[in-house]
Amino acid sequence: MALPLKYNIRNVLVRWRTTLFTVLGIGAVVLVFLGLRALGRGIEATNANTGDPRNLLVVRKGSQAESGSLVSRDQFRTLRDLPGIARNAAGEPLVSAELVMIVSAPRRDGVGEANTLLRGVTPRGMELRSQVALVEGRWFHAGQREVVVSSRLARRFAGFEVGGTIKAGPDRLTVVGHFDGQGSAFDSEAWMDADESRAIFDREQYSSVLLRPADDSLADGLIQRIDQDKRLALRAEREVDYYSKQTMTAKPINYLAGILGTAMSVGAVFAAMNTMYASVGARTREIGTLRVLGYSRRSIVLCFLIEGALLSLLGGVLGCAIAWGLQVGLAAFNVSFGTLDFQSFAETVFQFRVTPDLMLLGLGFSVVIGLAGSLLPALRAARLPVIVALKSL
Amino acid sequence: MNLPTFILKNALRNRRRALLTVLSVGISCALLVTLLTLQRELTVPPESAGASLRIIARNKVSLAQPLPAKQLAVIERIPGIVAVSPFTFFGGNFRDETVTSFAQFAVDPRRFQGLLVEARVIEGSYEDFAKDRLACLVGADTFERYGLKIGDRMKFTGTFYPVDLDLKIAAVFNGTVDDRGLFFHHKLLDELSGDPGTVGTWYIRAASPEVANDVIARVNAAFENTAAEVRAETERAFQLGFVSMLGNVKMLVLLISGAVVFTLSLVTISTMSMAIRERFRELAVLKALGFQRRELFAFILAESFGLAALGALLGVGGAWALWTHLDLQKLTNGFLIYFEVTPRIMAWGAAVAAIMGVVAALPPSWQTARMSVTEGLKTLD
Repeated sequence: MALPLKYNIRNVLVRWRTTLFTVLGIGAVVLVFLGLRALGRGIEATNANTGDPRNLLVVRKGSQAESGSLVSRDQFRTLRDLPGIARNAAGEPLVSAELVMIVSAPRRDGVGEANTLLRGVTPRGMELRSQVALVEGRWFHAGQREVVVSSRLARRFAGFEVGGTIKAGPDRLTVVGHFDGQGSAFDSEAWMDADESRAIFDREQYSSVLLRPADDSLADGLIQRIDQDKRLALRAEREVDYYSKQTMTAKPINYLAGILGTAMSVGAVFAAMNTMYASVGARTREIGTLRVLGYSRRSIVLCFLIEGALLSLLGGVLGCAIAWGLQVGLAAFNVSFGTLDFQSFAETVFQFRVTPDLMLLGLGFSVVIGLAGSLLPALRAARLPVIVALKSL
Repeated sequence: MNLPTFILKNALRNRRRALLTVLSVGISCALLVTLLTLQRELTVPPESAGASLRIIARNKVSLAQPLPAKQLAVIERIPGIVAVSPFTFFGGNFRDETVTSFAQFAVDPRRFQGLLVEARVIEGSYEDFAKDRLACLVGADTFERYGLKIGDRMKFTGTFYPVDLDLKIAAVFNGTVDDRGLFFHHKLLDELSGDPGTVGTWYIRAASPEVANDVIARVNAAFENTAAEVRAETERAFQLGFVSMLGNVKMLVLLISGAVVFTLSLVTISTMSMAIRERFRELAVLKALGFQRRELFAFILAESFGLAALGALLGVGGAWALWTHLDLQKLTNGFLIYFEVTPRIMAWGAAVAAIMGVVAALPPSWQTARMSVTEGLKTLD
């Protein structure tokens, strides 16, 4: 027969002073683990949320990112004339040849510089990216040295406010507006007229081509056709697939979360053990009484395991609650994080993202800590000889 | 029984608890040391003897934008410069790797010899490298890691450049701060990519550290208002530029360190109050015998500090031993290279543990000081 759960809950609450520290400690472990995973998840979510499933992105074979890709004008013409490409209301093919440049800009806080991604984009390219919407100022005019930057990027770099100036070598670009990419990778970009950017940076070639098949059933055929054309030496891929693969930057953060989470949880297991041993010690007579009343050794072990799990679950809930609060607070103040994306070689802006599955993982993590920490004390409680236990003070 | 034995007996009365406390303090200390070392690894690039002399000039737009090769004629004439070579990051993937951890640079071998002054050629000869357009000079770490021999071929798939390389190892070097790099002929890169007339960066050596700043100013001024403006800076400033690109990482590691210290203090405080609470009655007896608050505080402090110190010794020492003897470069595929646990970091770890030891003694001492003797004697727990 198992002891009622109420007994465990009351025990945890009655010893709240000893319990509190352990709960806080486990809460901190869960918070660190969850916080790091939330950053990794933020990077992954940004990339997973980028692109239109109908679009195909074409880059040079062998290049890992748009910024390292080259597409010549001949190649672009070949792509444009491929059969099966969608047209807009005006009858123009939905194909956009774009130039991706890396421009170094000073950080807003005055500590050094970082790379930003400047995309030379065409009107078709803007039609193909419905995620991006203007939120302040106006769009750039063709043939002008004007640039529209993401509002999230603008908060991180000096001179990115509307009316500000971005220096690209000897050239000056005027910021005329801000756009919002709805949490996509475009939130880490600045956009300007494609031809003007090629003129400024003296580039004959484009970086990539974005296009949309007339019908989704034609997409796979187009991908194959581009891939098999030896003269082209280009690689086409669905835009969403291309971005969802750009997650290399999240890897070190996720590794760090795993390593730190494990190491800290070992420390937390020791702390939980301490608390549970103390709990067993203080309740020796009670345990003896329970045994006399007929509770088996097994139910005593179970009882203490449940109590340990309960204790650490409280910590887990606390850690999750703080992480959740952190997310709400960061979102309220519009705080985003940024780091160097190893693939695009430019700053990538991302959000702190605590998702339900991460929280569940954190809670599971805390329960494991609790069970590991209470196993030995529980066994000790079950092994107490009844008579000795009853006699103890 | 004298005082030290009394304290020691008390500390070891509950051996299991003492052990668990020491272990949890130890793990927290080890974590703290590891995090601080990680932060140092990410934010403080290693210094080398020649670094204060060496200058890197890149395109002002960004590192990704090339520079015209014809700038060489102008740079060469700038006074205070003893050597200059094109220095172009190739960024290829070796064999079938998807991420290659060592960098490949295209250089002018004759000019480059005057730049890499601390490097020693340990196998093959520099002359062989300089003579053969298809040859390469490999860092000893890379050479050993892949078990290569002189004369072996190394194939790279270009990721930034639309060309592939097939190089022959002519010489191996060591003695630099990072013996992983590979150098090959810029002429070969030019040939393969259709002679674009561009280089990635210029690698410059100043005659002395004193003139380095003047050289930087002259190089920058020389190309001002030209189509390709230049940003010249010392090698060290250039490396620190990468740190700035990492963004919020530094803050992040500090925040996590804070959380670790917080957990550490919770654990120590909780254990100490547990240990004291179960001997409330004894402390009341001591009080009744005439021991003063000050002395009782000293008992508690000595015990708490002692346990914390033992934990610190274990944790800091353990972390030092682990990171010093582990080949992290191999384990992390070149992500972490030095991971040096400096005395300063160890001192930080120990200091934090010591402060925790003292802080943990405060709440129970306060409780003991406040309690009346009769109250303490009545305590049952």
